[in-house]
Amino acid sequence: MKIAVCVKQVPDMESKFTVVDNSRVDESQIAFKMNDFDEFAVEAALQIKEKLGGEVIIVSVGPERIVKDIRQAFAMGADWGIQVQDPQVDEGDSFVVASAINKAIEKIGGADLILTGVMSNDNQSALTGIMVADMMKLPHCTNVVKLEIGGDQKSLTINRELEGGLNEVVEMPLPAVLSIQSGINQPRYPTLPGIMKAKKKRLDVVKAGDIGLSEVGKAASKTELVKMFIPVSEHKAEIIQGDPKQAAAALVNKLKNEVKVI
Amino acid sequence: MGKILVIAEHRNGKLSEGTLELCKVAKEIASATGNTPAAAVFAKDDSIAKELAQYIPEVLSAVDAKFEYYTADAYSQAIRAVVEGNDVKGVVIAHSYDGVDFAGKTAMAIGAGIVSGVNKFEAKDGKVIFTRNIFNGKLQEQRSAKTDKFVVTVEKGAWDKEPSGSAGAVNSVAVSVGEVRTKVKEVIETTKGAVDISQAKVIIAGGRGTKDADKYKATVIALAQKLNGEYGASRAVVDAGWTDHARQIGQSGKTVSPDLYIGVGISGAIQHVAGMKSAKCIVAVNKDPEAPIFNIATYGIVGDLFEVVPAMLEELNK
Repeated sequence: MKIAVCVKQVPDMESKFTVVDNSRVDESQIAFKMNDFDEFAVEAALQIKEKLGGEVIIVSVGPERIVKDIRQAFAMGADWGIQVQDPQVDEGDSFVVASAINKAIEKIGGADLILTGVMSNDNQSALTGIMVADMMKLPHCTNVVKLEIGGDQKSLTINRELEGGLNEVVEMPLPAVLSIQSGINQPRYPTLPGIMKAKKKRLDVVKAGDIGLSEVGKAASKTELVKMFIPVSEHKAEIIQGDPKQAAAALVNKLKNEVKVI
Repeated sequence: MGKILVIAEHRNGKLSEGTLELCKVAKEIASATGNTPAAAVFAKDDSIAKELAQYIPEVLSAVDAKFEYYTADAYSQAIRAVVEGNDVKGVVIAHSYDGVDFAGKTAMAIGAGIVSGVNKFEAKDGKVIFTRNIFNGKLQEQRSAKTDKFVVTVEKGAWDKEPSGSAGAVNSVAVSVGEVRTKVKEVIETTKGAVDISQAKVIIAGGRGTKDADKYKATVIALAQKLNGEYGASRAVVDAGWTDHARQIGQSGKTVSPDLYIGVGISGAIQHVAGMKSAKCIVAVNKDPEAPIFNIATYGIVGDLFEVVPAMLEELNK
């Protein structure tokens, strides 16, 4: 089975963020990593490959720095990848990124199954994968927490997570696009031989023009950013000062004697 | 005048509470942009449409056996038909599991720009500008659609529920739904028979910051036991297998409202906060002073939980 996994690189969310020009994050102080949800998608793809054979191809959109995390997916066991490295694409919104992924998957000759994470930690839209499915005219399912491929390899049975501890069991045909929820598996750590092999694996780096994507950037976007900013909360917690012992004692005292909840 | 159209959300014949929040949003956007609020209900009969008419002046009701279960294919086709047959300026959808599943496809079907997870809006120069959380709530952005129509998904709890009023009109609309490629087999409860922490008066919840199963036990579980409370967890802790899914607090887990909630090593992602923000007293212990949880907490300690929690246990032992 030919499986494409969409992988995005995101900042470590514990970073201190500074906004530049009301429109972007100052990247100089930030460490980047693979989007959490995408690690589960890569692992899900590798488990299917181990069971049924085939190949796992990483599809990624973004600047040069992303190569580190594509190689991490290679080290986990993915076979090869394609990266759309084009600043014009990066300026676009979810629709433009979805268009680039659609064309990149077309470039690799399509896939039997396309996996994404549920959402990215930075943009939090949870839209891109669904748009890719629509562009490819494929069915999709989001928030997948269990996944079984039918014996004929032409269908899927899926548990889709719902609110309040419910799961919906869904059947659908292949090819399909699935967004993988965290917790579906335990993503493996790359092994040392895996890391060595990853360095030599094939990564096709393409620009929008190479994959037949003519309209990119802000012009092709369907939404526009007005501004990005650090929110000012109307409420702030009363921060209890002091070293851990003092703070803990003061907190326990408040909870016992002021709020009277313990 | 065009319509700002709510897509009603329902399951097992029951309208979701979030839909009433969407009615409020649609009413406010309609009023700010000179449009009218309306809702569309896709169901196997018109009982939900009649119920929803108490909250919004016009309900468009499409009845079809294919709407017995929610599917993205049926919903996006139906919304497209309603948008083509009516002057719809904006489509308002819940940022829920179902809502997010069909919103992107709907935007594609009607060629509209989509902004997801919005919690505020302002109308300016004929445009509706939406505010949404990004970067795990540490940043926000304002974004608007460039297209003549917009689609938004609305963060749960960002607006109050619209109160019921005089009954609005229920107008039936014909939509023909073609191929539906996903088939719903059943809905199952994953935490049946497991512990129920939703009624506990004191809950100590641990997050990713607790590091591993042993440390989660030594801090979160120990503190919960000391305070005769229950222990809970954020998604990351359950994903990692340090505790059971039944103890997960948030959108996909339990909703709790204890007298005291102590979040330990929890950043306060919106999905978690959705499940505990109504707690009476919220305490946060986190080493990151900018963690969003401090924006909803009553008391906070900025520090290393592996120093703070043992100090609390020691204090409680005195």
